[in-house]
Amino acid sequence: MNYEGVIEQSSVGLKELVESGEEIIGYIYPHVPLELFMAHGFTPSLVRALPGTSSGFEESLQTFACSYIRNLYSQRANGQLLPLAGLLFPGNTCDALQNLGDIWRVRFPDDRVFRLTYPVTRYSQDESTTKFLAEELRILSETIANTFNRPFLTESYDRAIELVQDFHASAQFLYSARVVNPKIIPYSEVVRLIRTFLTAPTISSVSNIKDTAARVRVTSEDLGLVDMIETVRLAITSGDYSGVKLPEDLETPRVVIAGGMVEPQAIATLINDIPDISDSAIVLDLLSFGFKTAFTEAPSKSSDPYLAMAQSVLTAPGEPTHEGLSYRMKAMKDLLSNLSIQGLMVCEQSFCDPDQFEAPSIERAASELGVKTVRVPLDPELSDRGRIETRIQTFLDTLE
Amino acid sequence: MTQERASEEKPYRRLETQALLQQIAFRHGLEAMEASENGSLAWVTSGFPVEIPIAMNLGVVYPEQAGAIIGAQKIGPAVSGYAEDLGYSQELCSYARVSIGSTEKPDEVPMGSLPTPQILLAGNNICGTVLKWYDAISEMTGAPVFLLDTPPIEKQQLPHNQEYVRHGVERLIEFIGSNFNRTLEEDRLREVAELSSRATKLWIRALEACKNKPSPLNCADRFLTMAPVVSSRGTEHCVEFYESLVAEVEERAKQGIGAIRDEKIRLLWDNIPPWHTLRFFNILASRGVVFPADTYTHAWTGNMVGTDTPSIIDEVVETYSKVYLNMGLDAKVDKMCQLIDDYDLDGFVMFSVRSCKRYSLGQLVSKEIVTERTGVPGVIIEGDMVDSRVYNAAQIETRVDALLEMLM
Amino acid sequence: MDMGVGIDVGSTTTKGVLLDSSGNILARSLMTTGASAIQAVEKTLRNISSSSNIDLNDIPVISTGYGRARVELAEKSMTEITCHSVGVHHINPDIRLLIDVGGQDAKAIRIGPSGRPEDFELNDKCSAGTGRFLEVMARVLEVSLDDLGPLALQSKTPSSISSTCTVFAESEVIGHIGAGESAADIAAGVHVSMVSKISALSKRVGVQEPVCATGGVALNPAFRHHLSNQLGVELWIPEDPQLTGALGAAVIALEKKGKKN
Repeated sequence: MNYEGVIEQSSVGLKELVESGEEIIGYIYPHVPLELFMAHGFTPSLVRALPGTSSGFEESLQTFACSYIRNLYSQRANGQLLPLAGLLFPGNTCDALQNLGDIWRVRFPDDRVFRLTYPVTRYSQDESTTKFLAEELRILSETIANTFNRPFLTESYDRAIELVQDFHASAQFLYSARVVNPKIIPYSEVVRLIRTFLTAPTISSVSNIKDTAARVRVTSEDLGLVDMIETVRLAITSGDYSGVKLPEDLETPRVVIAGGMVEPQAIATLINDIPDISDSAIVLDLLSFGFKTAFTEAPSKSSDPYLAMAQSVLTAPGEPTHEGLSYRMKAMKDLLSNLSIQGLMVCEQSFCDPDQFEAPSIERAASELGVKTVRVPLDPELSDRGRIETRIQTFLDTLE
Repeated sequence: MTQERASEEKPYRRLETQALLQQIAFRHGLEAMEASENGSLAWVTSGFPVEIPIAMNLGVVYPEQAGAIIGAQKIGPAVSGYAEDLGYSQELCSYARVSIGSTEKPDEVPMGSLPTPQILLAGNNICGTVLKWYDAISEMTGAPVFLLDTPPIEKQQLPHNQEYVRHGVERLIEFIGSNFNRTLEEDRLREVAELSSRATKLWIRALEACKNKPSPLNCADRFLTMAPVVSSRGTEHCVEFYESLVAEVEERAKQGIGAIRDEKIRLLWDNIPPWHTLRFFNILASRGVVFPADTYTHAWTGNMVGTDTPSIIDEVVETYSKVYLNMGLDAKVDKMCQLIDDYDLDGFVMFSVRSCKRYSLGQLVSKEIVTERTGVPGVIIEGDMVDSRVYNAAQIETRVDALLEMLM
Repeated sequence: MDMGVGIDVGSTTTKGVLLDSSGNILARSLMTTGASAIQAVEKTLRNISSSSNIDLNDIPVISTGYGRARVELAEKSMTEITCHSVGVHHINPDIRLLIDVGGQDAKAIRIGPSGRPEDFELNDKCSAGTGRFLEVMARVLEVSLDDLGPLALQSKTPSSISSTCTVFAESEVIGHIGAGESAADIAAGVHVSMVSKISALSKRVGVQEPVCATGGVALNPAFRHHLSNQLGVELWIPEDPQLTGALGAAVIALEKKGKKN
C-alpha cells in the first residue's frame, strides 16, 4: 500500500468515533496527558501532518515555517481536519509551534484553542519543573471543565490510566522484542499500532496492540527470548545496559532512526518500498511518535492526579527542545553501543530547529562509536522522495 | 572645507556620540579577553538578567552582537559556511551559525569571534533557539550551559510561573556560585541593578526623543547605539555613554535638527535589521524616509528598578519574563500599534527574517491587524539579518517603493 | 567470456555500457532521457547491441540513476552513488573523493579502498549547485550552455553573486546585467557561486586526494577551474565523465555473474 493509503487507513477509527458522537480534543505535541482529556469525557487524538496536503498556509505562514506546522495549518485552512471540540497547542517546546498557536487563534477564532505550557525539562529533574507542569495541568483541567461543563471524573481517570498503562507495557514489549529479533514483527506493524492508539486511545486500539504483544510474547517464549527482551526493556528505561546480552547470531545491518516529529510510518514505507530491502534492518527508532511515546512511563493512580500526570509526562525520553544535549548524546551512545547498532539514520524535517540543531551532534556522537550515519531531510509530503530513497538505499549498501 | 561640504550634502547626519561607541567597544573587548584569560567569561543571550553574572564578577559578552558585527562586515556567508561544513543547516538561525562558525575558525574572523567562554548563560525569553545554539557551543568549548527557563506568558504572569522562574534565578546564582566558587553579595547586586536601570532609563529617553519631528535618530543610529545597553548594562561606562547620547539627541530635538535632512515620511521598522545592508536606511533617507521607531531597539526597555524595591530577585523575575517576545503575538501587535500612535508614524516595514522564526512567524497575521487597528499601511520584505545570500535587494526595493507610492 | 551491462537512467541523459570480464568497454551509449524513461532504456540497449554486434540476452543488467526502477529486465537496481563510485574505482583505483554533478544532482562521495562509498552527501531538493543552476543562468545571459564555461574563463574579475538559491541568483544576475557588467564576469561569478555549494558538500565528507569529478558538468572547464581553486586540489577527470555511473553498474553486473558461476 502506498504511504497515503497507510496514513488514511489509520484515521478510519477516528472518523467512526466522530460519527458515533464521541467528542475529540486534538493535540499536536506528543507528550500530553491523555488521561486528563479522558477524565473529562473526551477522546484525545493526535493531529498530525498528512502527506496529501499541498498548500493553504501561504496566507499566514512564511515558507520558512517548518514543514510540519505548514502542513497542520494547511489542513485546517483546507477544511481537512475532522470536527474537533478543542485543540491543544504546546507552549515553550519550540518557537514554530509557539507562534502557530497564536496565529491559529487569530485566524480561526471559532476554534477552541487550549495551550499547555511546558517547563524545559532537565536531565537533573528538580521539583520545580514537576510543580510547574502539575499546576499547568490543573489550570487546563479547570478550563476544560468550565468551557464544556464537564468535570474531571476520578472514575474515568482511573479507567484511562489502566488503558494507558496497558498501551505502554505492550508498546515497550514490542520495541524491546524487535531489538532482540527485528524479524519477530515488522517495524511498520509496531508503528501502525502506536499510530492507531495515538489517533484514538480507545479500548479497541489498546486491545489491538495488547493482542499483538501477547502473540509476539508467545513466539518469543518459543524462541527462548523473553528474558532477554525484558532485560532490554529495563535497560532502555533505566539507562543501565549492564544486564543486556543479545543473541550472538544477530542479523546485520542493524539500524536506528533518530529524529523528532517525523512520522515513523513514513520511514517504514520508504524503506519497505526500496527493492530487496525490508524494515527488519530497522532495530529501533528514537522518534517522538514512536520510541519516545512508547518509553514514557504511564502515570499511576494517585490522590493528586495532576502531579502524577506531570511526573509521567516528564519521563518522556529527551526531546531536543530540552536542556542537556550532552546527557542526551550519552544516552544515545549507550544505546547504540550496547544494542550492537551499525548505522544511524538522522531524520530532519525541513526548517525544524530542534531536528537540524541536534543532527550534527548526533553525527559526531555516532562517529565516535564508529556507527555510520546518513542525514535524511524530510517533509511530511515526501516531496523529494527520489533523492531520499537514493540516500537510504546507498546508506544501507554501505553498511553491508 | 570641501570635505565638510560633502558630508553636509549627505541625506543623513552622523551622531557625534558614535565616536564614543568605538571606545566602549574596544574597552569591552579588552575586558572580555581579560575575563576569558582569568577563567571567568560568560557568554550571555540578549534577554538574560545580566545583572546577576556581572554582580558575581563575571565578564560578559553577547554572541548576538558578535553576529551583528560579522553581518556588518559582510562576511556572514563565509563564516556561516564554517558552521555549514560541520553539518549545521543553512535553515538555522544565522546568529547561531556565525557564532558556531567563528568558534570553529576564530583566526578567520578577527572581528566578531569571541574569547573562549567558561560558562554559557541562555535565557529563552527571546526564543527557544538560544538553548540549542549554546548547547552546540558547549560541545565545542566545554563550557557548561545554564538555561534560565521563562515559559511564555499570556496577558499576565501567573503565580506558578513566577515561582518557577524565581526558582530558576536562584538556581542560576547557585550554578555560578558553585562553578566559580563565589557568592552573590546583595549590595553589589543592588549597585549593578541601579546602574543597569539608569542606563535603561537613559536609553528610553533617547528613544522617546524620536517622537519629535523631525526625529533626531534614524533606525541605523539606534541599531548602533543600542550596543552598550545590550552588552554593558550594569556598568558605569554604559551610563556615561547614554548620558552623552541623551544630551546630543535632546539638543537635536530642541533645535529641530533631524537625523535625516529632509524628513517627509515616518515609518516603523519591525524585526532585527539586515546588518549587511544598513545602507538600506540611508538610501531611504535620501528620499525623505525616516524610521523614528522600531520594535527591535524597543525590546531593551525593560526597566529594572534599583534600590527601592524589597526584592531584586522578584524584579528580575518580572522584568525578564515580560519581554514582549515572551508574551505572544498580541503583545507584539500592541507594541507596534502603540509605537505607531506614540511616534505618529505613517506606515511600517516588516523585515521577515528567514532564519529568525520566533520573531518572524506571525508577521503575515500581525501586518493585517496592525493596519486594521491603526489605519496605516505596511509592507513585508524578506531576507536575513546576517546571511546576505538570502537577501534579494531588487525584490525588496520594489516592495518598499510600492509602499512609498501609497504614502506620497 | 562473461559480460555485464550497466544502464544509468539520469534526469537528463540515459547512459549504457557493455563491459567484458577483462574490463574492456565493448560498447557505450549516451542519449537524452526525454519524456519516457522506458523508451530511453530500450533504445540504449538496442544501441549497445548493434554497435557491439552482441546479443544481450543472458547478459546480466544492473540499472542505476533516478529511472533505475524503470529498467524491468535489470537483475537489480543500485543507486548511482554506489555505481559512480565503483565505476571511477574501475578506471582509477586511487581516487578517494568523487564529485559528481549532473542535471538535477550534486553528490560528493568518499570512496573506500574497495571501491564502495564510505560516506556521501547529496544536494537537497533546491537546485543550487547542480547543472540546472548553470542552465538557468546561461539562459539569462543568452548564451548556450556549452559556451557558458569558456565565456566564464575569459573573466579576471568574477562578479559577486551572493545567492546560491537559483531564483535569487537569477535576479542578482539580471541586476549585474543592468549595471553593465561584462557577460564573462557574470558567468564567472555564476560558477564561483555554484561551486561554493559543491565545495561545502565535499568538505562534509572530507576532501581526500586524489579527487575526481564526473557527471555532465565535469565537461565544463570553468566549473573544473573554480572547483579546483576552491578545494585547493588538482582534479582528475575520466575520459567519459558522464559514463562512470553506467560503467560502475556494468562492473557490478559482472561481479554478480561471477558470484553465480
